[in-house]
Amino acid sequence: MSITTRAAITRAPHVGWEIVDLQLDEPKAHEVRVKLMAAGLCHSDDHITTGDAPIRLPVVGGHEGAGIVESVGPDVQRVKPGDKIVCSYIPACGACRPCSTGHSNMCVKGLNAGTGMFEDGTWRFHEGDTDIGGFCTLGTFSQYAVVSEWATVPLREDFQDIPWEVLCLVGCGVPTGWGSAVHAAGVRAGDTVVIFGSGGVGSNAVQGARFAGAKNVVVVDPVEFKREMATTVFGATHAFATAKEAHEFVVETTWGQLADHVIMTPGAVTEEMVQAAVMMTGKGGKVTITAVGHINERAVHVHAGMLIGYHRQIRGALFGDSNPLYDIPMLLGLYKSGQLKLDELVTRTYTLDQVNQAYQDMNDGKNIRGVIIHEH
Amino acid sequence: MSITTRAAVCRVPGQPWEITELELDEPKTNEVRVKFLAAGLCHSDDHIQKGDAPMRLPVVGGHEGAGIVDAVGESVTRVKVGDHVTCSFIPACGKCRYCATGRQNLCDAGKNAGTGMFPDGTFRFHQGGEDFGGLCVLGTFSQYAVVHEFSVIKIPEEIGFDVAALVACGVPTGWGSAVRAGDVRAGHTVVIYGAGGVGSNAVQGARFAGAKNVVVVDPVPFKREMAEVFGATHTFATAEEAQDFVRETTWGELADRAIITVGILHDEVIANAIKVVGKTGQVTITAVGNGSINENPGMLIGYQRRIQGSIYGGCSPLVDVPMLIGLYQAGDLKLDELITRRYKLDEINEGYQDMLDGKNIRGVIVHEH
Repeated sequence: MSITTRAAITRAPHVGWEIVDLQLDEPKAHEVRVKLMAAGLCHSDDHITTGDAPIRLPVVGGHEGAGIVESVGPDVQRVKPGDKIVCSYIPACGACRPCSTGHSNMCVKGLNAGTGMFEDGTWRFHEGDTDIGGFCTLGTFSQYAVVSEWATVPLREDFQDIPWEVLCLVGCGVPTGWGSAVHAAGVRAGDTVVIFGSGGVGSNAVQGARFAGAKNVVVVDPVEFKREMATTVFGATHAFATAKEAHEFVVETTWGQLADHVIMTPGAVTEEMVQAAVMMTGKGGKVTITAVGHINERAVHVHAGMLIGYHRQIRGALFGDSNPLYDIPMLLGLYKSGQLKLDELVTRTYTLDQVNQAYQDMNDGKNIRGVIIHEH
Repeated sequence: MSITTRAAVCRVPGQPWEITELELDEPKTNEVRVKFLAAGLCHSDDHIQKGDAPMRLPVVGGHEGAGIVDAVGESVTRVKVGDHVTCSFIPACGKCRYCATGRQNLCDAGKNAGTGMFPDGTFRFHQGGEDFGGLCVLGTFSQYAVVHEFSVIKIPEEIGFDVAALVACGVPTGWGSAVRAGDVRAGHTVVIYGAGGVGSNAVQGARFAGAKNVVVVDPVPFKREMAEVFGATHTFATAEEAQDFVRETTWGELADRAIITVGILHDEVIANAIKVVGKTGQVTITAVGNGSINENPGMLIGYQRRIQGSIYGGCSPLVDVPMLIGLYQAGDLKLDELITRRYKLDEINEGYQDMLDGKNIRGVIVHEH
């Protein structure tokens, strides 16, 4: 049976989020309807409203979410009604080539992220006759959503008491940041690592780099509050407001050998940042790009000689090269044992009605991460 | 005692190679004098002569060479007089950070490649009062050169000098661009842009590493034909044809690896290579030129592609040069087929013209003594 749900949608770039009532279908085969309890305010959703993420509109925002399975369609095996789950913004079907070779972050079932369409060519959210997709085929800025069972990660018995505002963040920002350092970059003990941007993703790259044994974890962020959080809470050894200051420090501390890794997790990547990152990377070093840039800017603009002479690598990272079914429970385990700081990521919580204010706070540099607590 | 040697030099970019007589100092501490028997005509030397690779001039060309140790300075331990050697265009000091961590291709002692200056600030080639550097502190386009002992590798006496010369640069650079830097694995689909003196060895490396499809893109019919000798499974004249083939043969999953070994790097071949690799694919850039990467980050993030710059193909010369010679001796690596034509030192400009005309996989100078 179809139900009504309150949701934040975007109808066009540059007009912000609008709170509306939508009709939500019941789940079909391999789908589940989730009562969402909390949703993270990731920068990627903001890229939709700025036009930097060209996706089908209108769209229900939100791709970080956690909640309770309300009902399931036929053939669902991974979860059952009443289960607490985290949504993974990339599904993991377990059967395609990327899933079969340990790269679930590239699961082919993620192909409808930009339309929110289900595999049968239909949508679950409707406003009158208009079909509305959920971002990443989720749409966690809604009280309820129908999602693929492949996008759900069930929680073990000992994770049941973790607060919702923490759970929602392990669906994207935490593994994306952590994995950017640990998996995609491959930080090793003793490395010097520079991280551009220490927000909801970068703070976790800091934690990952430190946990992997980096000697120097150097943060570049113009916002004083974020630098302070990076050094006093998440494990950065040094923090600078500008790339130039970080470069000078890295030259000095490595005796000119430069950094082993630069990880790019700012709000938006620019050409200037990429060039600064390459210049800061030493022989055999690697630049890992996790953050997206402006849609029309070719921010990765580097003379090939800059890569060849020093044998440098530039790579992209999606979901930090993490495998959601393994890494999400693993990260929650680290949190439970006190080794991963997740409570400290949540600077402020908001109601759904405050979503535009929340994004203003993010863009003003006030939050590591803001979280929407859904009202029911 | 100083000796006289004939050498091909570049004084000003844009001028042909000039054959001239130079004075050559005797080797100092840790240096050896090599009597060169053969030198490879690599595209990198042409980049200098054309002004694309800015370096200190005048310079003695040549960074692929093999010969016999003719004299040694003090404290030399790696070789002795009479040893047959090939030269490594990047030295391997064995003690800097990169040598110490298994990455001799990044040896800090390679820093004077563009000047030919020795660590004590002096030069070994002279004419009148003028100092000449050797390219990569070698200068194999000379009958004799003084080089650092870190730049020579002893080879078996039964190996031909012409073949051995190529194992100093083009062969490991190409092979390693597939096997080391390129990380080709069994079952992969690999696209190689440019099948000349470097690319032909990327083809051999990719095939030896077990690639299922070794796809070559080269506009020259002769090189495409030779690529099949070296193990290419498919060859195309254009990137567009290769793209269509790869899409079809991989059911849209695209290539696992792309390797760029063209003569002159440009933006378009980089963009083509990024487009031809699929999810988690890697583009390895080995070729030199004025090419840039110019992409939206989304091209790298969404498919999690990576771009690897490659020097010496990521090979460690002290291990990989003898290993490649061993593969050649066992019949597993084709080196004789790389040499299309042999030239005298006096014919060097003709040799480079043949290269630019697409007539050669590799031309080799056979020195006269």
